[in-house]
Amino acid sequence: MKRKLLSVLLASAMLVSLTACGNNDNGAVTNNESAAPKTESTAPAEENDDAEASEPSTESTAPEVSSERPTTPSGQLIIGTTTDLEQDFYDPIYNNSATNYKVCGLLHGYGTVITTKEGEWQTDPVVVADLQTAENEDGTKTYTIKINDGLVWSDDSPLTAKDYVFALLLESSPEMMGVDNYAATGYTTLEGWADFNSGSTKALKGVHLIDDMTFSVTIAASELPYHYDLAYASVTPRPLAVLAPGCDIEDTEEGATITGDFTTEVLLETIGNTDTGYRYNPQVVCGPYKLVSYDASSRQGTFEVNEKFAGTFDGVKPMIKTVIIKTVTADTEINELQAGTVDLLFQISGGDSIEAGLDLVDAGVAQKHTFFRYGYGKIQFDCSQFPTDSENVRQAIAYCLDRNEFARQYSGGYATVVHGEYGLSQWEFVDSKDWIDENLNTYEKDIEKAKEVLAADGWNLNASGEEYKDGDGLRYKDVDGELKPLEIQWCNSEGNPVSELLGTMLPDAMKEAGMELKATTTDFPTLLSGINHDGETTYNMYNLATRFSLQHSPWYYYSMDEMYLGSLNDNWILDQELADAAWALKAIPGDDDAAWLAAWQNYQKVWNQKLPNIPLYSDEYHDFYSNKLQGWDTSSIWDWTSALVYAWVTE
Amino acid sequence: MRTGRYLLKRFIYIIFVFFIISILMFAIYKSLPGDPVRMMMQDNVKPEVYQQQYEATKKMLGLDQPVPVQYIKWITNMLRGDFGYSTEYRRPVKDVIGVPMRNTVLLNIFSMIFVFLIAVPLGITTAVKKNSVFDKIVQVVTIIGYSVPGFVIALLAIYVFAIRFPIFPISGVKTAGFTGTGFAAFLDTARHMVLPVLVMSVGGIGSITRYVRASMIDALRMDYIRTARSKGLKEKVVVYVHAFRNALIPIVTVTTWWLIGLFGGSVVIESIFLWDGLGKMMITGLNQRDFSVVLAMQMFYVILSLAGNVLMDIAYTMVDPRVKLEN
Repeated sequence: MKRKLLSVLLASAMLVSLTACGNNDNGAVTNNESAAPKTESTAPAEENDDAEASEPSTESTAPEVSSERPTTPSGQLIIGTTTDLEQDFYDPIYNNSATNYKVCGLLHGYGTVITTKEGEWQTDPVVVADLQTAENEDGTKTYTIKINDGLVWSDDSPLTAKDYVFALLLESSPEMMGVDNYAATGYTTLEGWADFNSGSTKALKGVHLIDDMTFSVTIAASELPYHYDLAYASVTPRPLAVLAPGCDIEDTEEGATITGDFTTEVLLETIGNTDTGYRYNPQVVCGPYKLVSYDASSRQGTFEVNEKFAGTFDGVKPMIKTVIIKTVTADTEINELQAGTVDLLFQISGGDSIEAGLDLVDAGVAQKHTFFRYGYGKIQFDCSQFPTDSENVRQAIAYCLDRNEFARQYSGGYATVVHGEYGLSQWEFVDSKDWIDENLNTYEKDIEKAKEVLAADGWNLNASGEEYKDGDGLRYKDVDGELKPLEIQWCNSEGNPVSELLGTMLPDAMKEAGMELKATTTDFPTLLSGINHDGETTYNMYNLATRFSLQHSPWYYYSMDEMYLGSLNDNWILDQELADAAWALKAIPGDDDAAWLAAWQNYQKVWNQKLPNIPLYSDEYHDFYSNKLQGWDTSSIWDWTSALVYAWVTE
Repeated sequence: MRTGRYLLKRFIYIIFVFFIISILMFAIYKSLPGDPVRMMMQDNVKPEVYQQQYEATKKMLGLDQPVPVQYIKWITNMLRGDFGYSTEYRRPVKDVIGVPMRNTVLLNIFSMIFVFLIAVPLGITTAVKKNSVFDKIVQVVTIIGYSVPGFVIALLAIYVFAIRFPIFPISGVKTAGFTGTGFAAFLDTARHMVLPVLVMSVGGIGSITRYVRASMIDALRMDYIRTARSKGLKEKVVVYVHAFRNALIPIVTVTTWWLIGLFGGSVVIESIFLWDGLGKMMITGLNQRDFSVVLAMQMFYVILSLAGNVLMDIAYTMVDPRVKLEN
């Protein structure tokens, strides 16, 4: 922890100095002169209280507050979101809209494993009394988890190990798949999952109920070793008595099983009933908040504190009594904040909205909080298509774009540029700053360099098949006796400002280097079908954005296994060196930071050379919120639903 | 008898056209690039599990069948009142379409009432006072009204009435946290409806005023108007009974289309004012390749249009006895 705190402080100092230096190696183009890679806040300082004492402090980046945190929940907070809240509260498998995804986290708590504010995986001490790990002779790994006594559901009924085992069985079962085609993808790493999921076995081999408060999960040998293997022990409970009334959990030698009338028909009523089903109207939950109402005509959800919630991993209970989530549009969201019809807008990006929000802050009407995105916008190459199957061509395109200028124009100055597959909030980046400056190619715009790498790749001919000279226009290459032009098919989605900006910055520079950029604008499903090679046309490149998962697993994204091509490896890249560099990360134990960092740096170096994507920008997100909201502290890995539990309001 | 035969013929025609359009629509949407199954799947899943789930989902949706079989199943279910399964919301279409339809109809009804209450008297007055200063002012204003894009008027209205002078809410259908019921709930929704109704009405008032005016000017030129006046009838009777009734035919045409349009959502208005209606749902359905939703809405509009034509014909006979349905 100390090392990572130090990393954060170093990062703060580093970015401040980088910003002061102006044109920097690291590509930061932020407008925010005091921007640190983690957070910035304009709220005044707070005295530490018990609730905050155990919260990981970020010192200069921690929120400053103007009132004491209350001891009982009070007040109301209206949160504006640009993504509609749907009446769908089971889990993201049913509805993975950004808002629903997060709201599910507010309702369904007591997961056995959580991530801290720094992104570290650990068991939740409020939930887990004891975790024992055993590596078995057959290569499997068993986690035995003892649950704390005294946890209850929101209806005051006791929460036991059966609720955890039930969740594992339910969400792996063929019966559940019959409920609106639930995609049972949560626990696929369990031993015996495939047999249970197909209905071949009634018991799930990798799950055992040991006693009322203890259960175990066994991970299949094929899934190990795995850097984030603690995540395999992550289980979120489901209320057995509510979802499968009259059913019970029984442990057998073959694993745990559900006894009683456990059928799809029952689940269609308890989960799928549009009025009373758990998917639409969950009334027995164990997260920090519970659902009060959902108004379908306005798509507004009202949530209230779950008084029975025992607290977060560090013992914090929510102190904002009522939370309302409503939709806003990007065009008027700042006006809504000014008018007081919303109290919080989170993850605002784009120069116009940010400037408007900052005006409110300057006028004393609102507060702000900023942090960098854990991901980036990118040009994604299809590395199976000629000519972007050549890394030289991909590099040449990178040399044709002034990415710092691109990020500045796109974001109004509220974005940064990275040079590998990482985000600025990652500790690996913070620890590798000097190494990155020394080892990664920053691909500064350089048309001569682009010509050089193209020439080295055999693009030395003109349309007549003679040696290429400047002024000949398009470059050609002799491929098995056929003269092929250096044309890049680019697919972009409509109404996308990134596409529009690339369309003004790239074509002329590429033309100067001897390439031709042919753009096709489509809607997003068509673009996706191009990436997946489903459609009639395949393209060389796309512009997209990505957010890293907390279990970021590049070994899957660059796997050469045919099964991964087009799915997780959506670059369709078959590069042994890159695949090996990524694969080397997978087996490193979760607590071996030194080994991980060394392998990570090697992976970034290879990635930076192979360049399956060109990173374009990484946004500096802004949260804007009314002055009544206190203690607000988010980051790219500590989102608004996490921060909500720690914040409070002054009316 | 002749009317009955005419209506029967039109009914058969409607059925025929309905099926032809249903085949065309189904074929068009099926040929669009983009995979609805892929759109509803989570992609961060192990490939073997993904493929298994993909095939199961495809089978559940019936997309593993040949397209003609899919069409027959779809149209048969549709005729039974089963509009299919929304891949975006993972619910039956009939469960997701009700609330947006109610919102759209509510907005359109108020907008229509507002438009006709203003536009018809205004059109008549400007026709009667043709070439007066009042008429010229109304002409200029109505031209502006229907030529300025809706989104410009919407943003202007938000700026003036919600930001500069915060009289009405910026967006939404109800106040966040509002718990009132009955009349209080209606008033709250009505308050949110003012700006979208106002914006929708500006264009409508512009066009219908000009329709009514032109129609009335034609009617006022007729000999029977001169006769009515020479008989010593009051000017109000001449205008509202004799002239206006004869000017109704073009107005009936416009009114019928407005009635049909009650169910057609405005993408622009709904998006700007966050009024959750059918226009927004249609766009979302198209963007997500949620073909069941889109096709159900399209076929609903087809039926409305075809039925609207018949209603229009019947309305003609009511306002003008010279019109016979057999003609």
